[in-house]
Amino acid sequence: MITVEHYVAVSALLFVIGGVGFLVRRNVLVTLMSIEVMLNAANLALVAFNRSRMAHAASQTYPGPSHTGQVFVFFIIAAEAAEVAVGLAIVLAMFRLRQTVRTDDADLLKN
Amino acid sequence: MLSLFPVKDYALIAVILGMPLLGAFVNGIWGRRLGKPAVKMMALAAVGVSFLAAVCTFIALAQAVSDDRDARLSWTAWEWMHTTGRDATNVPVELKFSIDQLSGVMMLIVTGVGFLIHLYATSYMAEDKGYARFFAYMNLFIFSMLVLILGDNLVVLFVGWEGVGLCSYLLIGFWYDKTANAAAGKKAFIANRVGDFGLICAMFLLVQYTGALDWHGIANGAASLVDPSDFARVHVWPLSRGEYTGILSFLQPGYFQAHHVPFLQDHTPSAPVTISAATAVGLALLLGCTGKSAQIPLYVWLPDAMAGPTPVSALIHAATMVTAGVYLICRLCFVFVLSPFVMNVVAVVGVATAVLAATIALVQNDIKKVLAYSTVSQLGFMFLGVGVGAFAAGFFHVFTHAFFKACLFLGAGSVIHAMHARVHDDDQAQDIRNMGGLRKWLPLTHWTFFAATLAIIGFPFTSGFFSKDEILYRAFVDGTVNPLAGSSMLRHVGVYAPPPSLGVWLYGAAVFAATMTAFYMCRLYFLTFWGDFRGWTVGRPSLLAKQEAAHEPAHAEDHGDEDDEAVHEHHEDLATPGYPPHESPWQMTVPLVFLGAFSIFTGFLNPGLGVMTEKPMEHWLEPVFKAASDGAVVFRHGNDKVWAEHLEWPLTVGGIMAFLLGTLLAYWMYIARKGEPAERLAKAFPGLHQLVLDKWRVDELYEALPIGAVDSLAEASAAVDVALVDGFFARLTSLVVAASGTILRAFQTGVVHTYGAMMALGLAAVVWFLGMPHPKATIVDAGGGDYVIHAAPGVGYGYRWDGDGDGKPDTTDFGGETKLKVHLDPGKSTTVHLEVKNAFGLVKSAELHVERPAAPISSL
Amino acid sequence: MGALGLVYFYACAALAVAGALAVVIAKNPIRGAMGLLLLILSVAGLFLALHAQFLAAIQLIVYAGAIVVLFLFVIMLLGPSSSTPSDGRGFATRAFGGGLFAIAGLGALGATWRAMGAWRHLPMASVEPGFGGIDAFGGVLFADALVPFELSSALLMVAVLGAIAIARGRQGLASLSRAELEVARTATAGGDPTGPEAGVFSHEIDLKEQPR
Repeated sequence: MITVEHYVAVSALLFVIGGVGFLVRRNVLVTLMSIEVMLNAANLALVAFNRSRMAHAASQTYPGPSHTGQVFVFFIIAAEAAEVAVGLAIVLAMFRLRQTVRTDDADLLKN
Repeated sequence: MLSLFPVKDYALIAVILGMPLLGAFVNGIWGRRLGKPAVKMMALAAVGVSFLAAVCTFIALAQAVSDDRDARLSWTAWEWMHTTGRDATNVPVELKFSIDQLSGVMMLIVTGVGFLIHLYATSYMAEDKGYARFFAYMNLFIFSMLVLILGDNLVVLFVGWEGVGLCSYLLIGFWYDKTANAAAGKKAFIANRVGDFGLICAMFLLVQYTGALDWHGIANGAASLVDPSDFARVHVWPLSRGEYTGILSFLQPGYFQAHHVPFLQDHTPSAPVTISAATAVGLALLLGCTGKSAQIPLYVWLPDAMAGPTPVSALIHAATMVTAGVYLICRLCFVFVLSPFVMNVVAVVGVATAVLAATIALVQNDIKKVLAYSTVSQLGFMFLGVGVGAFAAGFFHVFTHAFFKACLFLGAGSVIHAMHARVHDDDQAQDIRNMGGLRKWLPLTHWTFFAATLAIIGFPFTSGFFSKDEILYRAFVDGTVNPLAGSSMLRHVGVYAPPPSLGVWLYGAAVFAATMTAFYMCRLYFLTFWGDFRGWTVGRPSLLAKQEAAHEPAHAEDHGDEDDEAVHEHHEDLATPGYPPHESPWQMTVPLVFLGAFSIFTGFLNPGLGVMTEKPMEHWLEPVFKAASDGAVVFRHGNDKVWAEHLEWPLTVGGIMAFLLGTLLAYWMYIARKGEPAERLAKAFPGLHQLVLDKWRVDELYEALPIGAVDSLAEASAAVDVALVDGFFARLTSLVVAASGTILRAFQTGVVHTYGAMMALGLAAVVWFLGMPHPKATIVDAGGGDYVIHAAPGVGYGYRWDGDGDGKPDTTDFGGETKLKVHLDPGKSTTVHLEVKNAFGLVKSAELHVERPAAPISSL
Repeated sequence: MGALGLVYFYACAALAVAGALAVVIAKNPIRGAMGLLLLILSVAGLFLALHAQFLAAIQLIVYAGAIVVLFLFVIMLLGPSSSTPSDGRGFATRAFGGGLFAIAGLGALGATWRAMGAWRHLPMASVEPGFGGIDAFGGVLFADALVPFELSSALLMVAVLGAIAIARGRQGLASLSRAELEVARTATAGGDPTGPEAGVFSHEIDLKEQPR
């Protein structure tokens, strides 16, 4: 029987993997992809919780069970697409400036 | 007048005070823009209106006094503050002004003579570019002096006291671009400040002992100043009333006696040394008065104060400010007479100052310096007068001195003005060795100066004669006793008795001083106005060379007479000796005429020698000094009035002999022998001559001792500052800051994953904090000994209480009960344990202490 | 759903974790991008298991169809420079950060499990018809969530503009047209798209000519 805790466990695992990848890897492209991983984990958790209770919210316009979690994920995906676009543009700008994609090398703010 | 302004609310005082203040304000702020004529008008109008109001007030006062001899016109502006006296009594201090007979006369002098001097100064200072500033300061001075005189309590008097000190500083250093002038101003202010310390101590003592600071209150409480009980005495030694037991306790009285130290036990006091509060107050007040009235030891500022403009010297240092000390003694006469010791000290200080200043004035060559020392000497006479209890006589000398000394100073100013036109050097213009024969060219100045000189040397029937001779007479015959000596309070305590022959010594020294006064004043007069003018060649080297060439044809040198002449603004033909000194304009001579006339004729306001049966001024001032003279001032020889009256004519003859001796000696030395004996004496005793010329090197002594000590202290502090504060502490703090900066900079690597790691650290901390349970509770007092303890809520919290103090929880599992009620008896306390378990199963406990205060003790 | 459901779930979950690990561990960013793709597909599959059909479709279209493609574009543009040599610089800081995060995350998971207590084994509620479909989604999006919907369109527009502005840099149109020219030249010249010469920016001459 798959209960919500299974999904939460998967989500947590993915989140931790993504987070550790973000903190450990120095290639900026890999860090951006790790962020994607983390966001996917969050999405999974949201959808799982939304499915688990089938609650009926009182202030809904459209009748039926509440879809709040899924709509939330929808917006996350939209915003996150925007974020990826801008982030990759920054990577390109940084590369043009420094000829590197390593985060270590972008240390102009040192001291 | 009294119907318009009732006696208790005499608001015309506000006009008397307000007009000079207004003049100072307007001239001070807008003076430059208003221009000289307007400034002159404002200043004169301010003092003039104040004088007219003072005259009206005097008439009103006369009217009030005729009904009730103790009447005073008073006016309260507002309540200023209050302070606490002994036994926590409340002593209010109001901004209150009052006029009685004494301050009425002073007020007329200040505003009247002040007006004449302002008129004089409008011409004297006409070319000065600080014209507006000068008159602003002068008006401010008049205002401060009036506050001093008209104040109804010591605090308002002190405000005026400080105000005149400030104006004195501002006006002495008026030409501040010369360092010497600024230094003289500072010296005056600092010497005054030392005296003010005494005055403040006296105020503290008075408020503590008499519980009041206004004249009326002090008079009422004055008896407690001589309370002989140990509590009311002022302990001079030991300083802490014998309670000190530390390492220096061998200095306490009785120590040597207790330990039988051989020599010291006989020559040190065995009991605490105390003085009566009246003596302490008197000595403290005396210190203040010596500062303001230039007596020993604080007279050193007055001669230096001659660096200021001459009208300033006339107004401040002759007529008004320096008499403030005498005024204070007269005002608090009933406190002074309570201590005969202090009275004797005052008299001795006065006569010593008179003699010392007169000796210095004998050899001075600067006309203003002679007059300055003469002022110090005459102030010594005034102190002598009030010191022997002749308050009316001392005050009368203040009155006459104001006229003749102001006339002398203004005359000197007129002479300097004339000399300056010929001799452009400031110092040379004032040197009497460069003057002579000026009576040909300055007739009005000459005759008024002559009149004032007659007054000061005591020519019979001038004002100075009557006032000075009264003082000499009373110095001989008067003795003071403590007015409460006979009362039961003081019978058990030893009372100071003045030495019996003190009067003779005082009289002798005073006559000596009077002789010297006559001598140096006549010397001044003769050298300035008689003989030949010696100032033709001063400051004119070409002319001097011409004269020398005329006398010694063999040494004809080339005359370098091209350059100097072009510099002088007077275009003179140097073939002739040049323009002679000229008389001053009417603004300067009219005041001189008035003052000269007053110097001669005002003596008849208080004439002695039986000229009038009842002396007007003494009668007028009698109610003010009544509290002092009743029983306090007695004649010597057991209050023998007949003996005293018989001595009046002989002692007066002594005074006249002094005048004659001094005058004739001066005439012989300077007119008959043309100054030659003086030169011979100076050559015969060069060291002594130089010492006296250097004012007995008192200034140098002060420079070495107290000032030197302060300088050493300052240098030591500076060394400590440089070595310790700058060298150590400043460096230490900068080191600490730099070190912490270096540490903090290590975190700023600029690399993103460092920041990420820091964020992870923060995240972990937050997760930990949110994951731990937090037992927090507040205690609410529900009244009646009930205390309710509320635990703070949290997500998924379960609570377990232990409220009965047995150390074991009340329930086994964690419930949702967030409140616990505890009852306590007064003065009891208890400890409550709270355990909290959160959703993650973690448990934490806290301990709470609840206390009920004991019932309050009745605060009856 | 029984055993099939279990197998399906565990398969998708395993593939998701594998994809995530590939993203984090792979040295070659292309391999990482492929791992990301795998992750996305697995998560779409998990969405389907949760009856979120519409969302699964959106996930595939947007994530796999746009975002991963974008990543691949950039990696291709960067060429060989997109993979960085690994050295031990800053190892301590990174290990500290990563380790702390892992502990915190897993600790939070464990704590949440303990906190959920008896609720952990509650079965999922039964699905109502129409749950997760387009109708339901539309009903929410255009009624209750209308404002965020409009705002997100504005957000996307701003993001487009921002990306263009940042990526274009200071050189403006000139650099873009040169890059386009290079792509066109390389394509027509029939050069090997893979390998060191494929990346536009790896041409030293280009980089040096662009004024800083």
